[in-house]
Amino acid sequence: MSETRRVVITGLGAVSCIGIGVEAFIEGIREGRTGFSPIESFDASEFPAVIAAEVHDFDPAAIVERLAPEHWGRSGQFAAAAARLAVRDAGIDPELLSTHRTGSIMGTTAGEAQVLQATVEQWVANGLKNVDPRLPGMTPVSQIANAVSYELRLSGDSQTIPTACSASNMALGYAFDLVRAGRADFMLAGGADAVNRACHAGFYRLGALAEKVCRPFDANRSGIITGEGGAVLLLEPLDHAVARGARIYAEVLGYGVNCDAKHMVNPDADSIAECIRIAHRYAGVRAEEIDYICAHGTGTPTNDVTEVKAAREVFGEQVPPISSIKSMIGHTMGAASAFGAIACSKAIEEGFLPPTATVEKLDPAFGEGLDVVPGAARPATVELAQNQGLAFGGNNVVTIFGKVR
Amino acid sequence: MSLVLTETPLAITSCGVVSPAGLGLEALERALRHGLETPAEPKESPDGYPPRPLWAIPDLGVAELLGRKGLRHVDRLTKLGLVACKLALEGAGEELDADARAHTGVVLATNTGSLTSMVEVGIDTLVQKKPYLVNPGNFPNVVTNACTGQIAIRNSLRAVNSVVSSGQAASLAAIRFARTAIEQGRASRLLVGGVEELSPAAAWGWHLSGALTEDAPIGEGCALFLVEDAEAVRSSGRTALAELLACEVAYQGLGTAREQGEGLRHCVERALERSGVSPGEVDAVCLSATNHWVRDQLEEWAVGEELGRPVPQVQVGEVLGELYSASGAMQVAALLARWREPARQPRIGLVTSMGEDGNVGCLVVREWR
Repeated sequence: MSETRRVVITGLGAVSCIGIGVEAFIEGIREGRTGFSPIESFDASEFPAVIAAEVHDFDPAAIVERLAPEHWGRSGQFAAAAARLAVRDAGIDPELLSTHRTGSIMGTTAGEAQVLQATVEQWVANGLKNVDPRLPGMTPVSQIANAVSYELRLSGDSQTIPTACSASNMALGYAFDLVRAGRADFMLAGGADAVNRACHAGFYRLGALAEKVCRPFDANRSGIITGEGGAVLLLEPLDHAVARGARIYAEVLGYGVNCDAKHMVNPDADSIAECIRIAHRYAGVRAEEIDYICAHGTGTPTNDVTEVKAAREVFGEQVPPISSIKSMIGHTMGAASAFGAIACSKAIEEGFLPPTATVEKLDPAFGEGLDVVPGAARPATVELAQNQGLAFGGNNVVTIFGKVR
Repeated sequence: MSLVLTETPLAITSCGVVSPAGLGLEALERALRHGLETPAEPKESPDGYPPRPLWAIPDLGVAELLGRKGLRHVDRLTKLGLVACKLALEGAGEELDADARAHTGVVLATNTGSLTSMVEVGIDTLVQKKPYLVNPGNFPNVVTNACTGQIAIRNSLRAVNSVVSSGQAASLAAIRFARTAIEQGRASRLLVGGVEELSPAAAWGWHLSGALTEDAPIGEGCALFLVEDAEAVRSSGRTALAELLACEVAYQGLGTAREQGEGLRHCVERALERSGVSPGEVDAVCLSATNHWVRDQLEEWAVGEELGRPVPQVQVGEVLGELYSASGAMQVAALLARWREPARQPRIGLVTSMGEDGNVGCLVVREWR
């Protein structure tokens, strides 16, 4: 099988702490608005860090058309709502999707963590055998992609890729391969995660949690803010998009994926640099052509220094503007790379650089000439954007998006 | 609008199997012929297990197989994956050199990861003096890709490392992922398969959900296959165990159970067509939902309709217990186990999946010649 086709992004759906719907989300990104607030989804009063980036005003029933929210976990609700928004944004007939070979590939880190949290609470209170019998069926991470397929009446591949914090880049890459190779006509690709007590506790214990604000690239950065949300993109063959007169945000040019195979939680600069080079090779682009890097940029001391080191290895002194949207929406885990992909798509379409909103004093350890786009967005022509996802397990995935030529 | 495809086959050059029958294909073959000798009980747990048969893997011999180093914070699910990986890599004959390992990846099916690890952290947030006093050494185990990460680390496998979740059909979805990844040049070799761990949380989950037939046993296991492009294997004059032909999956969670059966039927039809195999050529069928109410009959119906004649079944769920994420991979392993007995012609087997969540799938497997 040698025939492949070009794949473009024609629909964007975002359910984020700074706005629901791609317009509201991007407005927040452009302004450099942060969505950090006291945790409401669980009692955090006993935690030293009580701030997260929750989506307080999320009402799934106001968005979805088919899904009964009470039968699905919060991550699945995020994914289904974001997917519905992406389809509306694409202006495509939903019937066309459900009568063609369309599927859903969703990334996640913690899966249906709030369902598991409820299960554990009932278990501790009343014993395992008295857990609500509806919960087991809602627990598997596979239910996140299924929520999207159910909501949109899709019958193609329906798979969740739970590969931690680069999961939605992996999902995007795989969905791209499926459309490119002709195994699918359209794909909904993205990711979802929900703030939960176990995740908050774990990151705190790893010393990776910021107390109030996530400040990527800052000399005084202290870690992540746990976040949540759903981010989904509609992938469509270029020819089909052109024929129906669709608005095309960007083309997916390719991606690179590799594994450090060294350590479960510590990133490795050489391996990340290699992943970037793989991505460039597959996408058929040269490093000097990249106009913008949407960094993984978690805001932990280790991540940012490693990521910049990797960028230096590939780009030398001329690192393109590199920013972290986690400065605004926190670490949305399995949705993080998909939010990054949405930011890249809009940056290409509208011509701006998404900012690192919270940086006050750029860490001098990064060396001279690093532009992290501090504060608010800046107008710029973005022809090629690079979106980075790095994860526990040493999973690196870098996606490359370009203006359609 | 989809391009019409004939799939390029993947060759299984080696396999690693850990099941309630024990380690390896020979033990599996024996169990498939005669049943489990004496099913092993899971280790006792303070939370207790539901009142139904539970078939654990007998003595795993982890220390002898994996050494004692670095396993303190590794959970059972990951150990199953590591043991299966070791068996698969050792069975490959020639050891993979550093360059080959750099281009080898891992794709594993699991729908939950280690529930034991996740629940442990979750419970700690409730019962410890402070909610954040979870064990930091265990925290990395809560990610669903902990097993694939450990396999990569301990074997220096540096290509794509991924996990696929798709309910009962997860292993078939993983095989489909592997094919696409190899075809698109993301890796030259992959370890692909599925893993499931027996735990109180998983056993009670099945029991409470009411999805399984009354006396259906719950099992555990991992089957991993070392795969690469079949053409590459042939042209280099090497041999293999079998070829994975087309693998088709679909989501059918929208309709009635009957419509799910129809959906599976279409998968079987498409998979045969894209494999260039006619229904008359199929020698054996291996079903997945044999422990599940309603689905068991639907799956059998769908396959029967498409093949149009009774075809011998290789039974897995009945022999090893419910294997959920790992079921599809274990079904493939079961065909390989049965094919250890030589035959005149290369045999063709059909592996199907059908689950409560609506995901269905069909894979065509052909004995290597």
